[in-house]
Amino acid sequence: MQAIPFEQGLMLAAALFALGLIGVLTRRNVVFVLMCLEIMLNACGLAFVVSSARWQHADGQIMFLMILTLAAAEVAVGLGLIIQMFRKFQTVDINVLTQMRG
Amino acid sequence: METAITIQDLVPLLPVLVVTGVAVLAMLLIALKRNHTLIGATTIIGLGLALITAFLVLPFAGQQVTPLLMIDNFSLFFTIVILLAAGFIAVFSFPYLYHLKDEVEEYYLLLLIATIGALIMVSSNHFLSAFLGLETLSISLYAMIAYPLHSKEAVKFPVEASLKYLVLSAVSSALILFGIALLYAQTGSLQFTELAMTGGSVADGYFITALVLLFAGVGFKLSLAPFHMWTPDVYEGAPLPATMYLATVGKAAMMVLLLRFVVASQALSFHSVVVVIGCMAVLSILAGNLLALVQENLKRILAYSSIAHMGYLLIALIALDDASTRLGVEAISFYLIAYIVMSLGAFGVATVISSSEKEFDFVADYQGLFWREPWLALLLTAMLLSLAGIPLTVGFIGKFYVVLAGVEGSLWGLLLVLVVGSGISIYYYLRIVYRMLLQPQLDQAYREAGWDSIGSYAVLALLLALLLLLGVYPGFLMSIIEVVSVSI
Repeated sequence: MQAIPFEQGLMLAAALFALGLIGVLTRRNVVFVLMCLEIMLNACGLAFVVSSARWQHADGQIMFLMILTLAAAEVAVGLGLIIQMFRKFQTVDINVLTQMRG
Repeated sequence: METAITIQDLVPLLPVLVVTGVAVLAMLLIALKRNHTLIGATTIIGLGLALITAFLVLPFAGQQVTPLLMIDNFSLFFTIVILLAAGFIAVFSFPYLYHLKDEVEEYYLLLLIATIGALIMVSSNHFLSAFLGLETLSISLYAMIAYPLHSKEAVKFPVEASLKYLVLSAVSSALILFGIALLYAQTGSLQFTELAMTGGSVADGYFITALVLLFAGVGFKLSLAPFHMWTPDVYEGAPLPATMYLATVGKAAMMVLLLRFVVASQALSFHSVVVVIGCMAVLSILAGNLLALVQENLKRILAYSSIAHMGYLLIALIALDDASTRLGVEAISFYLIAYIVMSLGAFGVATVISSSEKEFDFVADYQGLFWREPWLALLLTAMLLSLAGIPLTVGFIGKFYVVLAGVEGSLWGLLLVLVVGSGISIYYYLRIVYRMLLQPQLDQAYREAGWDSIGSYAVLALLLALLLLLGVYPGFLMSIIEVVSVSI
């Protein structure tokens, strides 16, 4: 079986990462912002898995498991906050979060 | 590679284990009986116990515990500093939360878990543990910032602050992670030291991309310009004890981690990285000091001033480039301690007159404080003068140390910016002092000092004593730092 070249794997990860970053910067809906954050974190995970396949050891894959855990924790807190935000403002549009000025 | 944990490995880890144990104990106690005093006391006593064990394990320093953690004198020194700071913040939190009409006990749990993260960060020399520690700290902080969200009276925006912090902190974590992934792809190891060993064999451009991603992420966490946008909003929206935690323990742990990484990996041997850090230092000092001039909110002023202070620290970090000297490490260590003392004191004064029902965070609220609460006003004045770097205070010695490190590394341009920045900063610090001397406006009712605030006043007195003692006689701390900075 032909293995996927390591460079192409990293390219894919970088492209996903860029897409996620663009999404975080442009999306107005907080739920989509969280989803784009997830894409960024998973792009990092993909980069780790690809690299660990290159070096033929498990360090990168363990790192990926940790990233999964982190992403889950992050989203758990994030969704909790979004529920509070919806209760308070009746919307999940990020533009309402501009009460502080200075 | 032998990675099984033995009993000998567990001994140097005792401070972390004690804090973890206290966190579990606090959780069980909350399940049994909700009692604010009980949980608060458990937390403070537990952090004290961890502090004692940190002193007890000093003889076992210099041990690599699994490939992940390096417990040496330097990490134990900062373990002690962080435990002290976390304990002080717990003491300040107690009266602040006393009147919150909500469940308050879990706040201490979050504080303990964040402290575990900070302790792991200062002792890690592996990307995996560094990352886990960082996220443990950050995720606890999201919840700490949003804690009083049911409070109707509070004139602040915990949900807004917390969501902003969550999104930006997650983006910066992702940047750091991608940087680590690129480094790992080339070196095949997650140890900090690996980069220094394989640095020569790979094209520079590749490492520079990875390191710039890494430093951009770290810049977010340390609120360095141009990644500082979130800082004033999060500081303003968060409850005062959480702001205090973020400003002191959060920043200090990240800075120590950065220092360990830079020393171990020799990342500064790439000239472009030095240029990037230099630009961040200049921008932080100028942006922090200039934007603070127009602020009317004490928390926002302190936020911008923290941006500037982190910029000063970067100058000492760049001075490490000249690896023949330890002066940069010593300067950063001393300045971090000075910064923690000053910030705790300044936020502490605001905390003892505020409560979760009403926070006094506008400069106008402090008008006439000298006539109403002379001791508190004196304390706040001392802290502000120290932040400005006036002689006889610890802030002056810290700044002097940084300048010394800069002179050693011949960083004349950066030192010029530091001098200009410090000059500007005197204006906005003294403006607050001036407002405190004016006639009081008696319509603000500060929180009454009851039995629950005795601890806070004791901690404030201790901080003032430290500020003056280390400012007049810094030799003692300097000699300790000289000894511990050899080990990193």
